[in-house]
Amino acid sequence: MKLLTCPLNGKRNISEFTYGGEYHAMPDHRTSSARDWAEHVFFHDNAAGVVTEWWCHTASSFWFLAERNTITDDVIRTFKADEIYQQRVEFTAPETEV
Amino acid sequence: MATLDPTSVKRRSPLKQRHITNHALFKEFGGNLLVGHYGNNESIQEEHSQAQILAICDLSTLPRLGFKGPGAPSWLETQKLKIPTLPNTAECQHAGSLVAKLSDQEVLILSDIFALSNDVATLSDKAEIDHHNYDKQTYILPRGDSHCWLAVTGTKASEMFSKICGVDLRTHKFARGEIAQTSIAKTNAVVIRNDLGGTPGFYILSDISGVEFLWDCLLDAMHEYGGYPIGFSALQRLIKSS
Repeated sequence: MKLLTCPLNGKRNISEFTYGGEYHAMPDHRTSSARDWAEHVFFHDNAAGVVTEWWCHTASSFWFLAERNTITDDVIRTFKADEIYQQRVEFTAPETEV
Repeated sequence: MATLDPTSVKRRSPLKQRHITNHALFKEFGGNLLVGHYGNNESIQEEHSQAQILAICDLSTLPRLGFKGPGAPSWLETQKLKIPTLPNTAECQHAGSLVAKLSDQEVLILSDIFALSNDVATLSDKAEIDHHNYDKQTYILPRGDSHCWLAVTGTKASEMFSKICGVDLRTHKFARGEIAQTSIAKTNAVVIRNDLGGTPGFYILSDISGVEFLWDCLLDAMHEYGGYPIGFSALQRLIKSS
């Protein structure tokens, strides 16, 4: 059985988790171009090596981050998203289309 | 005793048809309609004895409420509730209700077993007023509509859970007030250890749309230990007799 450690709930069967894609720092939505925003939302590096990924513990709907080696499938560590996000991101529409 | 019609009230359990088929007698507890007991009046004593071994009770019509957001725990503290320090722990309140901290930003409040506490109704009204222009990011979650609420009691409960749940719920590993947010019979659920008197007790909160499936799975798992559904009166007796 494959196990993953949720930072909130502890070690659980992998079947309790959902993969949420690669983590990338979000560009400033007010200044980034439509192309940059599309890159951020839709495109992935698919890197071989240690990557940071979003995971969700579905039983508690708790989203967190994991550092995982995509070659060996070893999970180096998992951590709460508030290590990165400490402030609410306010989304305000740009006055004109960028 | 004349039984009340479970279809005559607004808040009904999705399990009501199963209760009716099982010869349930419905009774009002603090304005909420629940199964008082099954069969005739003599069965209450029998159900009380069974509750100490292995039994299940549907509490889905009792009040419950949740709050989520960075400001939720501190707002609830201003409402004179004791919020547990650690996530995944629950604490009994002075009025009898149970406050479960599901994460640093999420709290669930369950009515007391005698349905006498007004905590849930009071908080719901207060939240409407306080959060109208509230900028502290506290959001109300009406858990009464989204989650069913079942109670599994008895000394055999942990053993039964080991068949359908990956988390070790043995009483020496899973202490009173501990919470496990996990999967039971492949269904996402919140399990809260809340003993009733001296009898081990577990509350299960799960998606209300799947409660019939979960109920049947639990009954199936309980079958080999002789467990069966009991009414709310037997649960109350567990506390009164302790």
